[in-house]
Amino acid sequence: MAYIHFEKINKIFGTNHVLKDIDLDVEKGQLVTLLGPSGCGKSTLLRCLAGLEQVTDGHIYLDGQEITDVVPRRRGIGMVFQQYSLFPNMNVRDNVAYGLKLKKLPKAEINQKVEQMLDIVGLSEKISQYPAQLSGGQQQRVALARAMVTAPKVLLLDEPLSAIDALLRKNLQIEIRRIQQQLGITTIFVTHDQDEAMVMSDMIHLFHEGKIEQSGTPEQIYTRPATKFAATFIGNYNLPTAADFNRAFHTDIPGQDVAVRPEIVTLTKQAPKAEDGLLVAEGTITSHISHGNLIRFAVEFEGGLTLNADVVYENKLDFGEGDRVFAAMKKDLVIGL
Amino acid sequence: MRKGSKVSSNIIMTLVTVWLLIPLLATIIYSLFEDWTGIIPHGFTLANYQKIFTDTAFLTSMYQTLLVCVIPIVITILVVLLGLFVVTVYFPKLEKYMQILCMIPYTIQGVILSVSILILYAKGDTVLSGRMTMLIGAYCIIILPHIYNGIRNGMRAINMNMLLEAAEMLGESKLKAFFKVIVPNILTGITVSSLLAVGLLFGDYVIIRNLSSSNVNNMQKFLYQAMKRSSAEASAVFVVIMLITFAITAIVLTLQSRSTLEKIRNGGK
Ligand SMILES: Nc1ncnc2c1ncn2[C@@H]1O[C@H](COP(=O)(O)OP(=O)(O)OP(=O)(O)O)[C@@H](O)[C@H]1O
Ligand SMILES: [Mg+2]
Repeated sequence: MAYIHFEKINKIFGTNHVLKDIDLDVEKGQLVTLLGPSGCGKSTLLRCLAGLEQVTDGHIYLDGQEITDVVPRRRGIGMVFQQYSLFPNMNVRDNVAYGLKLKKLPKAEINQKVEQMLDIVGLSEKISQYPAQLSGGQQQRVALARAMVTAPKVLLLDEPLSAIDALLRKNLQIEIRRIQQQLGITTIFVTHDQDEAMVMSDMIHLFHEGKIEQSGTPEQIYTRPATKFAATFIGNYNLPTAADFNRAFHTDIPGQDVAVRPEIVTLTKQAPKAEDGLLVAEGTITSHISHGNLIRFAVEFEGGLTLNADVVYENKLDFGEGDRVFAAMKKDLVIGL
Repeated sequence: MRKGSKVSSNIIMTLVTVWLLIPLLATIIYSLFEDWTGIIPHGFTLANYQKIFTDTAFLTSMYQTLLVCVIPIVITILVVLLGLFVVTVYFPKLEKYMQILCMIPYTIQGVILSVSILILYAKGDTVLSGRMTMLIGAYCIIILPHIYNGIRNGMRAINMNMLLEAAEMLGESKLKAFFKVIVPNILTGITVSSLLAVGLLFGDYVIIRNLSSSNVNNMQKFLYQAMKRSSAEASAVFVVIMLITFAITAIVLTLQSRSTLEKIRNGGK
């Protein structure tokens, strides 16, 4: 059995069926992300694992033991919440030491562990400040230290970075990943930001309306979305109907819809050399949007099909609106859904 | 223009303050002089104070006032804290009923309350019909809305459920977490509402007159009796009551500001 094992988890709030037959495994030492749009039940699943919410039906196992009905404080799980949850009446040291004091460790050991952990999160000099005197990012790092210092079996992070600005957020993503790997803590991370999930995870579980839509490594999820929802949520997939696509590119991709990543489409002014497995069609540039490092061109083909194509921006625009171009892509990168 | 309005608002403030303080000042002067029939009082004396402070009846009334103030406040704070804890954590749906229940005493007048309590309990022979029990019970009822509001407002200012959950995840039981994490954060609300309660109970005459036997006297009761004897003595009693009220307020306020100051100072270094 996996280190954490969810078995047929159902959660119903009144008439709202929030989690539907969730089966999920997490291996020891991994960082796993629950990714999904707002309201799909990510926090609820996390809170069920923490014991803060009772499951309506199903079983949860941790480290070979069933914990479905164990009270939260005996589960050995640490948690960082979405909102700031430091104790306002205690300074940073007392906040981080809280869990250790409950374990009745000797004072010297508590101090040493607290200082060590604050060093890891880079806040040693804030040790005697109060939460109100810290920035949001600093508060979340203290919360992280507070959750990790007791060496929990599992660390749960429920969108801990959602209230933090973009730059600091990127740094903290890398920090959290580094600390997690350094300490080898099994971690479940909740987010609705796909980039964050890609950067941090060993495994991503994509949630949609209380079900797991797809599970896989970041690369698998990114390059091989299994459903239309996955393709909508991840990356910037073009999602034309299979009929439109097949007509324009004279091919036979199966399924209802076709998922094409904009970065696999190459644009050229001359027709590329015909090759096995290369799909080519001629179209007209209708617009372009700059994304900084790349330009996204919209190309319209016969029969009304429009695809976005990304071109890395070097020093000038290669095409303008109204230009005729050839769009080419490898057939085996095109996904039929 | 801004400066002008500041000056005028200062003037208004001063006038209001003086207006409020005049009766108090007059009483103080009156209690300190033998004769104040002309414009200038003369014959400075501390005799009035000496008299009341050597009067055991006065000292007992002081002590009893404190007792019948402090006990109901402590009881009510504990009951409201525990009640709000249980309601917020386990039965959030009952919260509005608790609020209604705690607000009802606002509408009850002292006479009605004391008379009803007498009718209901005085005939019985249980612990509830003890004079002291009835008095303390009545006081608990009178101050309930104030204490409830103070604590409830304090709790609204923090995210109580989340702080409790955070403590729980660190291995604390909910009830202990409540006293270690929530209560310290609403201490300001608790002290402010206790202050209000002290003010209310210090000023009570009606309830204690109706409910207590003749051997329980608070300072208001003593004041009333003193007024019948000599108005100068009554003024002295009045001044002492005022000073005690001021002292309590000052103590609580300095305690409060010192604890916040300490927090900031510790954090700043
Ligand atoms: N205590 C509760 N009582 C009733 N309904 C709830 C409760 N908690 C969550 N829900 C409902 O469960 C659903 C899922 O909520 P959840 O918080 O798990 O979403 P989420 O995926 O974490 O979303 P977000 O990204 O916005 O945090 C929502 O429809 C929400 O209204
Ligand atoms: Mg959530």
